[in-house]
Amino acid sequence: MYDNVIDRSKDITILELLDRVLNKGVILTGDIVISVADVDLVYLGVKLMLSSVETMEQLKAGKGIAEK
Amino acid sequence: MEKLIYSLVSVKNNREALNALLAEMKGISGGDLFVVATDEVAAVVSDIERSGFATDRSMAIEYAGLIEIMSQQFTLLPVRFGSVMESSDKILKMLERNYHDIQQNLQKVDNKCEFGLKILCDPEGIMADLKGKTEAMINTNVTPSAESKNSVYREWVNKKLHEHRLEEMMITFVDSVIAALSVSLVRLNAIHKFKKLVTAATIIDAVFLLDKEKKEILIQSVEEIEKQFPGLNFILTGPWPPYNFVEIVLK
Amino acid sequence: MEENKILFSTGSLDGLSEEIGTLVNREESRLKLTPDNADSGLAKLVLTLIELIRKLVEKQAMRRVDGGLLSDCEIERLGETLMKLEMKMEELKKHFNLTDRDLNLNLGPLGDLM
Repeated sequence: MYDNVIDRSKDITILELLDRVLNKGVILTGDIVISVADVDLVYLGVKLMLSSVETMEQLKAGKGIAEK
Repeated sequence: MEKLIYSLVSVKNNREALNALLAEMKGISGGDLFVVATDEVAAVVSDIERSGFATDRSMAIEYAGLIEIMSQQFTLLPVRFGSVMESSDKILKMLERNYHDIQQNLQKVDNKCEFGLKILCDPEGIMADLKGKTEAMINTNVTPSAESKNSVYREWVNKKLHEHRLEEMMITFVDSVIAALSVSLVRLNAIHKFKKLVTAATIIDAVFLLDKEKKEILIQSVEEIEKQFPGLNFILTGPWPPYNFVEIVLK
Repeated sequence: MEENKILFSTGSLDGLSEEIGTLVNREESRLKLTPDNADSGLAKLVLTLIELIRKLVEKQAMRRVDGGLLSDCEIERLGETLMKLEMKMEELKKHFNLTDRDLNLNLGPLGDLM
């Protein structure tokens, strides 16, 4: 019973934390890339953004209880 | 080697202290943490091989943990997990380009931290409660001659009207909770952001930014307000680095 | 992160953690346009906008009805039109295999569209 309360608190803490670190905070845009007018770099930049979106989705797919 | 960026830190006379702290820590996948700085703003970064950079949940948690440790000693803006730039040189240019915005944001969060408050209701219970009230309203003052024409369209309108009134009452109720909170928050000199009716159960999702020392008073205030709304569940978390209070998109 | 960040809470933690779990995992409805899904991707975008406007119109209509200044006849016609719109929308959603949840765009810092 007591353990469950601790687990739940930790769960909630981790969920709140993931919400922040994945969805909030300073954002880098693809503009880093535009500053260097090079096709290859534009591509890299777009890929960076996309990969971070995918990352988020993957991370979120594994929802629920996370162990440290 | 790309650079993973963790946070933007305000450094005035304390750059040495930051270096000392970072020397004791390790970045994601074991890389050393170091600083790319211009004037009074420093980006904390570590080397990362982007091609081999497979992220997972525990990594995001570790990343947030590192930001947390830094935020205990320094004023900083947390950077969203997974922000990578190609070189220190590019980061430096980015810092210079955004220097003014970064400084402004840093000033806003100086010596402050973030708290989260979610207020949840039992959707069925609260709806049943409000329903009683709206039904009483419909019976008394509106649609006097409506029953005469009992078409399917009219019924549809009545159903929608009922939903509309429930929604309005719900909003009024939520606003009354926010009004109660706002009084305390003004006293605490807190900056706040409210999201209303996020889901059926979460009627308020709020974040506050306030002085670190005021944590205990905040807890007390929330406890007081909770007593006024016995049907609602409150959950207050924090202190967090100011994730919800940075308003820059770096260019 | 071993630390517990809950400063104060009421109600069952089980319920709270479940709800917060759904909140955190909510944002998956991003618009993804690729060559393979151009059809349904576009349908989603268009229907999202139509649905937004339909809901606004419906909301406004209910405000007017509630205001009590519309005649029975007007209410009747309004009801007929809005009800048909709603049914049509259901048909379209079914046709493109979209749910209400799909018809909501996450606008980043602006929150959800609906």
